[in-house]
Amino acid sequence: MSDARVSENAIVIERTFDAPVNLVWQLWTDPEHFKQWYGPTGFTIPVAEMDLQVGGKRLICMASPDGKMKMWTTGEFTEINPTSRLAYTESMSDENGNIMDMGGDYPTTTTVIVELTEEDGRTKMTMTHEGVPADSPGASGWNQAFEKLAEYAGTLQNNE
Amino acid sequence: MERDDKRLDLTFAALANSTRRKILARLAEGEATVNELAEPFKMSLPAISKHIKVLERAGLIIQGQKAQYRPCTIDVAPLKEVSDWTQQYRHIWEERFDKMDNYLNQLQNEEQDNE
Repeated sequence: MSDARVSENAIVIERTFDAPVNLVWQLWTDPEHFKQWYGPTGFTIPVAEMDLQVGGKRLICMASPDGKMKMWTTGEFTEINPTSRLAYTESMSDENGNIMDMGGDYPTTTTVIVELTEEDGRTKMTMTHEGVPADSPGASGWNQAFEKLAEYAGTLQNNE
Repeated sequence: MERDDKRLDLTFAALANSTRRKILARLAEGEATVNELAEPFKMSLPAISKHIKVLERAGLIIQGQKAQYRPCTIDVAPLKEVSDWTQQYRHIWEERFDKMDNYLNQLQNEEQDNE
């Protein structure tokens, strides 16, 4: 179901979710939904601010299971085509959204591109994270997040 | 004394990096493998390994020796030294607060005298 293709300077993950494309779009673009699945297993999202328009700002806080480690990222939406394509930039930042230089470990700005297509009520997603090496453990971080996304999409549909 | 100074150099140098402070914060919650530490950062394995080496050299983390699964654990002893070093300046603040207390009392007394 998941497939991390090799591209030198990007993580590419393809995955099909048992959910309609409208719902998967919302899980990416509605902060309250985004908080429920983003981040590796056990991590939480205490803050997610999104101004959903091209040029609109994002500010996300990801916290480790006990909350001792907090990581802030900021960026802006660069493409919004409901419900087929979403792109945003991402940089490590402080809690006020001031971009932090990670000292060459990590490009200052990376780009996340999400492409969605619906097939028979299911959604095929291709997520490309440009600027992150394909062989980086970040790919498993993303895959853990998508496990959470799949599960959360399932609970939302069962409650309907 | 000189050896203590060298150790502090290593500790402060290791702490002078946001990624490494985040790794320590994560390990304060419990042991983790190098891969687990790297997952939230979306950073290459060599880059994260480099940070772990710096932390290890400063004695802040210990990496297990089992071949496949080599979890990292935090060792807080060097942080205690940092804390002790900081404590020697504590009295400066305490003296300043004492002076501030005296000055506030003085101001209040003057106000009463003027009434």
